[in-house]
Amino acid sequence: MKDPSTENLNPPLTEAQVIANLRQTEDFSDQYYAAWWLGRMRSRHPETIPLLLTALDPLHGNPIHNERRAVALNAIRALGILQATNAEEKLRILLKKNDYSIREESARSLGMIQAQSAVLDLCELLSGGPEETEQIQPGSAKLKEPYESVLEALGAIGVASRSVIIIITPFTKHSRPLIRASACRALLILTGDQKWAPPLIELLQHDDPLIRRGVLLDLGATGWMPALPAIQAAAIENSLKLVALRGLAEKSEDTCVLDAMDGLL
Amino acid sequence: MINISPLEGAIADLQAAKTTPELIRATKSLCNLHTVDAISALIEVLGFNNPAVASVATAGLIELGSQAVPSLLVSLDEKNYGSRAWVVRALASIRDPRSLDLLEHALATDIAPSVRRSAARGLAELNLIYPEESSKLNRCLLALLAAIKDDEWVVRYSTIFGIEMHLLRYNSTNKDQCILGLKQLSSNSESIKVIRLRATLALQRINAS
Repeated sequence: MKDPSTENLNPPLTEAQVIANLRQTEDFSDQYYAAWWLGRMRSRHPETIPLLLTALDPLHGNPIHNERRAVALNAIRALGILQATNAEEKLRILLKKNDYSIREESARSLGMIQAQSAVLDLCELLSGGPEETEQIQPGSAKLKEPYESVLEALGAIGVASRSVIIIITPFTKHSRPLIRASACRALLILTGDQKWAPPLIELLQHDDPLIRRGVLLDLGATGWMPALPAIQAAAIENSLKLVALRGLAEKSEDTCVLDAMDGLL
Repeated sequence: MINISPLEGAIADLQAAKTTPELIRATKSLCNLHTVDAISALIEVLGFNNPAVASVATAGLIELGSQAVPSLLVSLDEKNYGSRAWVVRALASIRDPRSLDLLEHALATDIAPSVRRSAARGLAELNLIYPEESSKLNRCLLALLAAIKDDEWVVRYSTIFGIEMHLLRYNSTNKDQCILGLKQLSSNSESIKVIRLRATLALQRINAS
């Protein structure tokens, strides 16, 4: 994510000021920055979550005010980072909005919150045959749904029911490598079945560095310890390997991962 | 027929190189000459914004060791944080005490987390072995202690690594302060789990020694 903080370094804002900036509705750039800041700084102020939830309301307007939409997108991300369980209901409703980015960010945040109540809604976004899930939308490179973030969310939530597994599995054959990776990542987490790991390790050798980077983070998120040597050896910058290994360390709590991280500093 | 030296040849290859494999090959042959005359060309490569090539050049500079330090110390590019990260990484690995000022400044002020991260590692590993250098050692430790409050988790992580290294190797008058800092990073007031894990591990190792 771009770090807007450097522009605002002088003078540094206090949490109380940031809260006030989010509450006011005159200056959208102040609100936008405040919504980002509260997540980034993991604010625990009692007003933080209520104000972030309020910032979602303009998404139900018609037409949606463009700048308020940008503030709301940051609020969705912040609610995920803050693991605001009382945002579940509102975020689930947003999964049905006619706005790809809103659905994408809401799915991701529901995953971070580990919202079990959202599993059915998320699965619904995965429905449809290959002709539907491979269909590129007119005028953009996007597909019908934000499949990567939905698949990631289902993995993070961790409900490994038969129906969830059945709906995820076809995506391991999707034409887009990062969607295949997200599906394998989710299935590896949900089932613990190691057969989903080799496709990820293989994609780590892909020619496109963007794909290698995405897959590296997927492997880290699975917490699958045998991936450690492959992550260490990947042709990717150390900064990103450290992020992937952070995922592996936090899931596995294995000190081998910490030693590997020390070696990449 | 014009005779050109191997160095001139390697530099000409580097200038003619267009693709990443060509750049890597040319940079490798420059490194293989093991000569101080290649230093400025290798440092230039760090600014190409090509990690695969820069990592080869950095390895070459690290191999040249202390001879490369004077040139590295004057080559920080204010506008290119990628290049700064490589320079700081090379200096951190060479471990020459002349890098102290630069590393201290980089950890405290650089806007790029990857630069601060490498600077923290460098301050942990500077080659300060003589008794008269104890004040410099203390400067390293104080710089690391201040970075415990860094906003970026990866810089805090690198700082924990550095503090652990210092406390395991040297007697420090600031030991209590360091342990207090590590305890804070291992507690729930720290929001990032991997930081709590690493700080807990550091405390275990320090207590065991």
